[in-house]
Amino acid sequence: MSGWEVFLQQLIIGLSNGMIIALIALGYTMVYGIVELINFAHGDLFMLGSFLALTIVGLCTALPVFVVVLLLLTLTPLFSGGLNWLVDRLAYRHLRHSIRLAPLVSAIGVSFVFLNVGLLWGGVPMDVFGLGKAAAAPKDFPVLVSNDNLLGDATVQFTAKDALVFVVTIPLMIGLTWFVKRTRTGKAMRAVAQDQTAAELMGINVDRVVGQTFLIGGGLAGVASVVFALYNNTIYFQMGYRAGMDAFTAAVLGGIGSLPGAVLGGLCIGLARAFSDQYIATGWTNVIVFTILVLVLVFRPAGILGSKHREKV
Amino acid sequence: MSLLKIDRLTMRFGGLVAVDAVTLDIAPNEIVSLIGPNGAGKTTVFNAVTGVYEPTAGKIIFNGHETRRELTGKTALAFSLVGFITAVVAVILANLETVWEAAVTGNYTYRQPFPWTKALASAQETLTGHWLVPALSGLFVGVTGAWAVWERSRRAPEIAARAGIARTFQNIRLFNQMTVLDNVLLGMDTHLRTRFWDAALRLPLFWRERKHSTGKALETLRFVGLEHEAGQLAENLAYGHQRRLEIARALAMNPKIILLDEPAAGLNPAESKALMDLIQRIRQRGITVLLIEHDMQVVMNISDRVIVLDYGAKIAEGDPATVRANPAVIEAYLGKSDARA
Amino acid sequence: MSKLKFHWAFLLIAAFIPAISPHFAELLRPIFVMAILALGLNILTGFTGILNLGVAAFMAVGAYSYAILTCDIYPFQLNFGCATGTTVLIGLLAGLALGLPTIRLRGDYLAIVTLGFGEIVQDTLKNLDVITKGTQGINPLPPPPFSVYYLFLAFLTLVVLLNRNLQRSRIGRTWIAIREDELAASCMGINPMKMKLLAFSLGAAQCALAGALWASYLGSSGEPGNYDFQVSIIALCIVIVGGMGNIAGVLLGALVVMGFNSIVLETLTNFLKSHQIISSSNVFTAPGNWKYLLFGLALILMMRFRPEGLLPSKQTKAELHHHEPPKN
Repeated sequence: MSGWEVFLQQLIIGLSNGMIIALIALGYTMVYGIVELINFAHGDLFMLGSFLALTIVGLCTALPVFVVVLLLLTLTPLFSGGLNWLVDRLAYRHLRHSIRLAPLVSAIGVSFVFLNVGLLWGGVPMDVFGLGKAAAAPKDFPVLVSNDNLLGDATVQFTAKDALVFVVTIPLMIGLTWFVKRTRTGKAMRAVAQDQTAAELMGINVDRVVGQTFLIGGGLAGVASVVFALYNNTIYFQMGYRAGMDAFTAAVLGGIGSLPGAVLGGLCIGLARAFSDQYIATGWTNVIVFTILVLVLVFRPAGILGSKHREKV
Repeated sequence: MSLLKIDRLTMRFGGLVAVDAVTLDIAPNEIVSLIGPNGAGKTTVFNAVTGVYEPTAGKIIFNGHETRRELTGKTALAFSLVGFITAVVAVILANLETVWEAAVTGNYTYRQPFPWTKALASAQETLTGHWLVPALSGLFVGVTGAWAVWERSRRAPEIAARAGIARTFQNIRLFNQMTVLDNVLLGMDTHLRTRFWDAALRLPLFWRERKHSTGKALETLRFVGLEHEAGQLAENLAYGHQRRLEIARALAMNPKIILLDEPAAGLNPAESKALMDLIQRIRQRGITVLLIEHDMQVVMNISDRVIVLDYGAKIAEGDPATVRANPAVIEAYLGKSDARA
Repeated sequence: MSKLKFHWAFLLIAAFIPAISPHFAELLRPIFVMAILALGLNILTGFTGILNLGVAAFMAVGAYSYAILTCDIYPFQLNFGCATGTTVLIGLLAGLALGLPTIRLRGDYLAIVTLGFGEIVQDTLKNLDVITKGTQGINPLPPPPFSVYYLFLAFLTLVVLLNRNLQRSRIGRTWIAIREDELAASCMGINPMKMKLLAFSLGAAQCALAGALWASYLGSSGEPGNYDFQVSIIALCIVIVGGMGNIAGVLLGALVVMGFNSIVLETLTNFLKSHQIISSSNVFTAPGNWKYLLFGLALILMMRFRPEGLLPSKQTKAELHHHEPPKN
């Protein structure tokens, strides 16, 4: 492989991973934009999604691959979106007027509950599905999408998996942008994000809109979890933490609350990780991502596309 | 000579021009009222003067100086220091493993005395040729980073406050869960000299100053008539008393000028009258007063001068009688809310 | 004055515990370390209202600095006192280094920065295995100069006194003012960044102290993975369960949370195992496998029903129970 080809290869890997990070980051940024809460449990929600996906795959071995993938892409988002909505309903909604740290701490609690569910879920002797393993060990996710190079004999690999990532994520992001810009619900979301009281006075049911935001954000995490599992073929119960870190960094990097910002941030993080893995050392990748975050926050505290926060006096 | 000079101040929020090239001049020991319909930009002027907002354009000169951090030699020195330290850290981090191996691992034999000078020499040798790039990049990031952070904090409320500008807020912002006394003590915080070690070890200065500052705070409370409430939580005070406590807290800062944002809002006639008296007594202490007020009774009675804002622009200025007769003012302000006039 | 006597009575009881029950005293030692760690976090989260999700990283910095300074595989070999002192200083500088560029950020951003810092400190310690011996950790360390129990008790008492003195001084007053209303505080001429930075580095120094004590107790620096996010969360749990901003509350929280974590859970597991009620192969029946769930639920339920903690400070309690919905 020539140097140029290595670069191109890392670019593809970086973009694919970046798109997955961006999907998770969108959930963070939407929720933060509307209730100013770092939904700490978001990464673990993503992890649970992939465990559900693993279970579905185990149950549907008889079905053709195409159907299984479609099934995954519908059921998992429904599950994680619904779960996210439920958590908001049960935990966060009651804390809107509590001290500022209360929802965040509560979210950390939810994240721990999810983590434990993941641990036990993965640990269930799933012999029925032929996937049983010790609790904490990483689980293999069956290869449903082939690893074949779509570019034929070229040294640079652009596999069906990479294609899947782009085919799923790009339309989803376009759809989301359209949804937030054009639909009634989307407009209500933007209104609540800007001024909750005013939105309430205009007759918008704030609790419902917030719930919808959690639903959509969770759904995106569900899609991301399926794509991630299909792309990487390994899942483990602690992966939500790592993914959540990356995604939140991406959201902050792009400017929290901004949808294009989250995508841009996700791509930046994905690329930074890929290039650092290739050109520096895998062990230092997290350090480099973190250094980028701190540098961006020093020079542009509101992120790349974020707007300045002004307190009303 | 003017105490506070606002020169063509403009504040823009997105597309909205909240304040449009307003010029004001406040002389020492004046009582000046800033009036105008709701949304005329009065509070925005206060926010710009006190450093809460950064002006889009224009200058605010207080006591002969702009109310922002000056770029002094000391600041420049601090930048270079930060840059130097970042450079050193960058050099260390970039070569940590090799230097450690050469200096420590290479020279230390288990439980034998360590040859420090030799170790230093090996460290130096390893660094040769490997320090320039990290040092330069560290220096660059350190200096520009320090500058960026500093630049963003040039116009901060504490700068204006330390220069001698005190303020109260339209929607009272007391430290609700602290006592009345603590609120006032916070006001005089910049004048206290208790440092970290004094407090941590309770050195004599701590005890002395605690006694002294409590006495002074009580004196300030007496001035506004709240000395009997000193031990109460601020949020348990009656509304009128909360307004007074805000003024007391501002006075405790020992300011040159005090900016009162609607001090009479929500007060009954007797309380407003007492407030007018209080403002007069504040002036007698040699403090200039600039106030935003909707209560025309208060404005007309105590102001030396009245300034009228409408849609962010100054439309009239003068003594109360002149302003009251000004047709533009009547149309913009008094005419619309004749109940108040 | 009666309150003061109360404190001394507690200290006296604590001093006699090893004589009464050596086993219990042994269990208390890690609790003391965690209490120091949580008190460090309390300065930030309890007093100043800054969330730090990376206290474990500062603990790791402390533990490794202490280990490098004392272990005889390295040339420094300082005695306990010098090493602890230097470690506290290093913790302070680490806090300052992280705080200087980031302290101006809004609360949530800062929380993420500290979280990330927690991650990269672990990574860095793993990567620098020439110095840190990777996952083996640096050992053996010389044992502490005298009884670990009394040493830790003495340090805890010192830290409590320091924190109390600061809390009831001009410094603590400004911290709490910043927590309540940063803008109003800065309009009084208080520099919030300076005070936050002080809180941040002081908290970091205390966490580093906890790390140094922990390393001396273990006789090893431990491995990088010992200082992961969970440790930070346990510290946060202690502060929240006990009562944010209240020193006595934090001590109680340390007792409750750590007691639950290292005493109740372990005793229960051992009991169940020795009576063969559970088998080690079934993940569902091992109480340790439900730990996260219990901690998580504790946090959620505390926030929902008793956000002020078991032993709240007067201020936080008032803040919560008379809290009006924000006007804008």
